[in-house]
Amino acid sequence: MQKILVANRGEIAVRIIRACMQEGIETVAVYSTADKDALHVQLADDAVCIGGPNSTDSYLNMKNILTAAVSTGADAIHPGFGFLSENAKFARLCEEFGIVFIGPNADVIDKMGNKSKAREMMVKAKVPVVPGSDGAVESVYAGIIVAKEVGYPVLIKASAGGGGRGMRVAESEDEFKKAFEMAQLEAKNAFGDDTMYIERFVKDPKHIEFQILADKYGNVIHLGERDCSVQRRNQKVVEEAPCGIISKDLRDKMGEAAVNAAKFVGYENAGTIEFLLSGEEFFFIEMNTRIQVEHPVTEMITGIDIVKEQIKIASGKKLSISQEEVKFNGHSIECRINAENPKLNFRPNAGEIKLLHIPGGFGLRFDSAIYQGYKIPPFYDSMIGKLIVHAETREAAIKKMRVAIEEIIIEGVEHNLAFCYAIINSDEFAKGVFNTGFIPKHIDRLLETKI
Amino acid sequence: MRIVDKLNERRVLRKRYRTSRKRFESSVEIPDGLYDKCNSCGELLLVDDIVENSFTCPSCDNHFRMRAVDRIKLIVDKGSFREKGFGYITLNPLEVENYEERINQLSEQTGLDDAFIYGHASIDGNPCVLGVMDSYFLMGSMGSVVGEKVTKAFEYAMYKRLPIIIFTASGGARMQEGILSLMQMVKTSQVIAKFSERGQLYISVLTHPTTGGVTASFAMLGDIHIAEPNALIGFAGPRVVEQTIKQKLPEEFQRAEFLENHGFVDKVVHRRDLRDTLAKILRLHKRSG
Repeated sequence: MQKILVANRGEIAVRIIRACMQEGIETVAVYSTADKDALHVQLADDAVCIGGPNSTDSYLNMKNILTAAVSTGADAIHPGFGFLSENAKFARLCEEFGIVFIGPNADVIDKMGNKSKAREMMVKAKVPVVPGSDGAVESVYAGIIVAKEVGYPVLIKASAGGGGRGMRVAESEDEFKKAFEMAQLEAKNAFGDDTMYIERFVKDPKHIEFQILADKYGNVIHLGERDCSVQRRNQKVVEEAPCGIISKDLRDKMGEAAVNAAKFVGYENAGTIEFLLSGEEFFFIEMNTRIQVEHPVTEMITGIDIVKEQIKIASGKKLSISQEEVKFNGHSIECRINAENPKLNFRPNAGEIKLLHIPGGFGLRFDSAIYQGYKIPPFYDSMIGKLIVHAETREAAIKKMRVAIEEIIIEGVEHNLAFCYAIINSDEFAKGVFNTGFIPKHIDRLLETKI
Repeated sequence: MRIVDKLNERRVLRKRYRTSRKRFESSVEIPDGLYDKCNSCGELLLVDDIVENSFTCPSCDNHFRMRAVDRIKLIVDKGSFREKGFGYITLNPLEVENYEERINQLSEQTGLDDAFIYGHASIDGNPCVLGVMDSYFLMGSMGSVVGEKVTKAFEYAMYKRLPIIIFTASGGARMQEGILSLMQMVKTSQVIAKFSERGQLYISVLTHPTTGGVTASFAMLGDIHIAEPNALIGFAGPRVVEQTIKQKLPEEFQRAEFLENHGFVDKVVHRRDLRDTLAKILRLHKRSG
């Protein structure tokens, strides 16, 4: 591989471009008219404007991106995360153009992108999934039978559902009928489709995900887990690796399940298998067929540069390490810094970075695309950077993060650093006993804190 | 000086110092048949996107020409189409040079015996007889075979007591068969008269372009006339009319919407809604008992 086009923007584009430069690979940045002054555009060897500010005109515009790749002579495309990273059609097009898509092949993206298909595959691969109905539940009475098999509490959800609508929890059989009818009515009104599913309601789970690396030759390894339970409306805020409360046995068991899952679908490149963990029980929820935002915490504890591994795998190299050689060292925590106002319901805000000071030192990493004087455009995701620390122990990592947030200065836009600070300093976080219900439960208290 | 400018300066320097690779020669070539240009708005489109979008342009809604087989796939329930009356042989009574060769060649290319295909089909569960003209076959012109097959389609519909749907797309009567082509206008018209007397339903779907002898016979004899947006529908083309009457014609003359406003077409339907519309009409006209 001699030249890679990075079909993304912001922090991840910068991250990928840096990795390519270190490997002696030329880079092509693509940008929308709103991103003319973005950092990734300045760093790459070539930069091509691919359209207007709206993502559909630029970062989602397959035709323009492919044209940019062809005209600059790029032989591979790294999609980053978001945008076209999990678009099977784009992967297929790259293939037809003879350009390497740095990621799994299109069929795998298709399979894993479809929730019910992915679930079906995982059942076949003997990876535990959340117990539930196989397919649609026709009536309340059929539902009661299924619910009994699955075990209460159950989650009743519309197949067309989203945003919590058409969704109800039933704690017992007495509640079931009413909950089912309510959910069905809501689904009918909201989506015009009242096909319902039932699955076990996993109460207050931890969100644990395993990083996978797989080469073209069927070798698959995992790089341990990340605990991403600190979430707000399914958006991760603070991530860490390893998880503070998982035993070695459980880690091996989950890791093996993740590797089996990847092997079963013929996975290639870097990916993530997400699980819900409740006590010692874990269930597959979905697979992300791309690099993830929180990949640095895994890099910090394993010493493996995942983006560089992606490039190696895509260029046909074998994995250079075996599972036994993957060593976990210390603890790493990441805070996502978003340009948003937590006090105004986390409303994103655009604007100019007037002042910027970034702390440094041993075991501290700041992955970002902002610089002093940078104007954040209002069209894209509000994440502007990731602050990552690495230390010997979890306690030391928390302390390091605390000190780093106390020092960092980002002025000009509202951001969520105080909110992150509150999370890091909370007792629950210190003990590691938090779950996905953590932020919703303590939101008022978390919003009070000032740095 | 801004940080961006500084970084940009460094990039230029870095480029100068690098032992630069030979100016690349485009190693990647755009494969054929992947993209097509819309002939109306000029937008470059993925062929897959066009097909997915019912052969219409995703950006300007232009309706592209379609082959008869694609049309059938778009309209009928999957696997429900059974072709009838295939295998007619075109003769060359006027001994027009190369006529038979041309027909044989087109026949091989398209898999059709002539510019018309019909058969038994169901649309959203409603059985009907479906006939489609293929404008890729000598501009869908009507010679003896097309005329005979259209007539046969109606006779088959009468025999089965089914409603019939005909998609027209034609340049008119086939020049190569002269008067014999013109006689097909009479033949098709008389069978439709018979068909109507029996009270059966005939839906005529006019697609771009429907002109000449086809318009002047079976295309305009439907009980219900549906047209695709912006389809040219008329007898003599607008240029000929303009030259003959020596007057400027109104804009949109002979276009589907114009005809809809003037009562010749009952409804202009977007291609993506065509299947649903036809299914609905068939359902409403179903015989009870």
